[in-house]
Amino acid sequence: MVLAMETPEATASAIIDFVERLEDDSLAFYEKLAERFPMHKAVFLSFVGDVKKNKASVIRTYRETITDALEACFSFKGLNLNDYMIKTNIAENSSFSNALKVAVRLEEEASEFYTDVAEQCKSLLATIPRAFKVVADERNRRKQKLESLLHNVK
Amino acid sequence: MSILEEPIKEPLTVRNYVGGEWVESKRELVDVVNPATCKVIAKVPISTRDEVDAAVEAARRAFPDWRRTPALARARCLFRMKELMEEHFEELSRIQTMEHGKTIDESRGETRRGIENVEVAAGIPSLMMGYNVEDIASGIDEYLIRQPLGVFGIIGPFNFPFMVPLWFAPYAVATGNCVIIKPSSEDPISQMRIAEMAEEAGFPPGVWNIVNGGRTVVSGMLDHPDVVGICFVGSTPVGYEVIYRKCGETGKRVIAQCGAKNFLLVMPDADLEATIATCMTSFYGNTGQRCLSGANLVVAGEGLDESEHNTFYKKVADSFVEAAAKIRVGYGLDQSVQMGPLRDKSKKEKVTGFIENGVKERAKLRLDGRNVKLVGDWPHTCFLNPTVFEDVTPDMTIGKEEIFGPVACLMSAKSLQEAIEMIHSNPYGNAASIFTSSGKWAREFQYNVQCGNIGINIGIVAPMAFFPFSGMKKSFFGDLHGQGQEAIRFFTESKVVIQRWF
Repeated sequence: MVLAMETPEATASAIIDFVERLEDDSLAFYEKLAERFPMHKAVFLSFVGDVKKNKASVIRTYRETITDALEACFSFKGLNLNDYMIKTNIAENSSFSNALKVAVRLEEEASEFYTDVAEQCKSLLATIPRAFKVVADERNRRKQKLESLLHNVK
Repeated sequence: MSILEEPIKEPLTVRNYVGGEWVESKRELVDVVNPATCKVIAKVPISTRDEVDAAVEAARRAFPDWRRTPALARARCLFRMKELMEEHFEELSRIQTMEHGKTIDESRGETRRGIENVEVAAGIPSLMMGYNVEDIASGIDEYLIRQPLGVFGIIGPFNFPFMVPLWFAPYAVATGNCVIIKPSSEDPISQMRIAEMAEEAGFPPGVWNIVNGGRTVVSGMLDHPDVVGICFVGSTPVGYEVIYRKCGETGKRVIAQCGAKNFLLVMPDADLEATIATCMTSFYGNTGQRCLSGANLVVAGEGLDESEHNTFYKKVADSFVEAAAKIRVGYGLDQSVQMGPLRDKSKKEKVTGFIENGVKERAKLRLDGRNVKLVGDWPHTCFLNPTVFEDVTPDMTIGKEEIFGPVACLMSAKSLQEAIEMIHSNPYGNAASIFTSSGKWAREFQYNVQCGNIGINIGIVAPMAFFPFSGMKKSFFGDLHGQGQEAIRFFTESKVVIQRWF
């Protein structure tokens, strides 16, 4: 995935743009896994559903509360979005366990991203950090599920 | 950072929406220019008096049926309109950035504030309720009914092309009136899209009308005997000399929200970091083209000796300049940008004139926004960077007149009382804020300051849709204000019934 961007001070819009791309990338990744590994199709498709839901939830929250961020001249500081990115390309002949390892890393980084932005915007309306925290928790749960799958493969 | 996709690919032709029909004007079209790119994005008609008359006639004819439409059915039109606005939220926001110049975050904020008014007005079955008392005398009851009045004209400003007409129109139609909206001819596209949504939402023909143009349209509405009221947001000279006076002469209801020169007062016990951050949006948000923008930042030395006050003033000024210098200026569809251009070249020239005046009057120019530095390669035509003047006094031109651009004037006052007197020496009374940790000072400020909108540790004192947008002195002419319950009262007559059955 190509999400190279440094944000010493990022506008709310830039962060939401990153969220959209992160979720779109995750969605494409899990759709691909569902196709590649039909035995676990249901699991990956459930992730696809969650990704769609979470993306919609974060964008909705942003649109409903952007005025709060504007009033406080809020911007996200010191986040390097490159730190939260991983390459989700997997080789055609990649094994299931390798694919799961990529997925675990994706969830780990994404969860960290959402946790960090939730922490930064704590001073804003409660709905804003909550929206990010919900996705961080969800990403974490997904990571645990993937780790458990990986454990079973081993 | 990449530029968001522009929703307007080819220049549009803006049309009038009258009696449920999209009609071409007979008169000439003028260009609507994106101030960041200087590209023509639309052509807008400068409509004639006859075209205004046709709109009034369409609205007048629609009124009897619309007022008989149950409040719940009228509300459902607003709910559908809200849904359409949510569905097209991003497109509507990007249009505002293209036609006005504000950043995409600011446009999305404006879209949200506009939608909030539609949401509040959709509560009309409750909002419009009257009240009653039984047995005011033997067997006699008394009650109050709110009834719509007819056709209202709404004259929008250029600085919030989407939101401002929505301070009024949703309440007007929710209460059973019909409206004619004249958007600013500088940025009329948002209102055209809203009218398309009004049509799709099922408002009957003639209830929601748009007539584009300039003075002729304004005069046409002011002179027309079938227009019962006018809502105007714009400059004080027009608002007072033209709108308010003419409405007085013709017996129309009027809301005229006008110019401003807003003071922000920093007390020694303020949380300086948070205050400066808030000031940045207040002074430079929307490129200073807000009637709620901070204009004068007064650093008060209440409780400090002269030396301490000087140190405090310097600390505030240095922090302010440092923060203002960091603001990234460019095209609002670039998501890294924090401030866009002025709406057009003439507005930039006007602001530049004020800066020159400030220099002549010997204010200290700490940050000169005329040195334009942009994110991206855009024509400098309408751009200025943030400007900061120090040592400004209330009698200087830049200290007393509305600049309506990204210029901050820093002032000093020995005490809270002196600061309040400075605020009162200015003819405007739109908004004023105090930054302090002291409840006592905050209360004193709130109690004494003659401004309609008071902020306590707030930079942009923008009332939510369920509160009136207030204003005093030369910032407001009229009695009732836009938004919330006051708008309901403005758009209705209170009829009192006293009833006895023999």
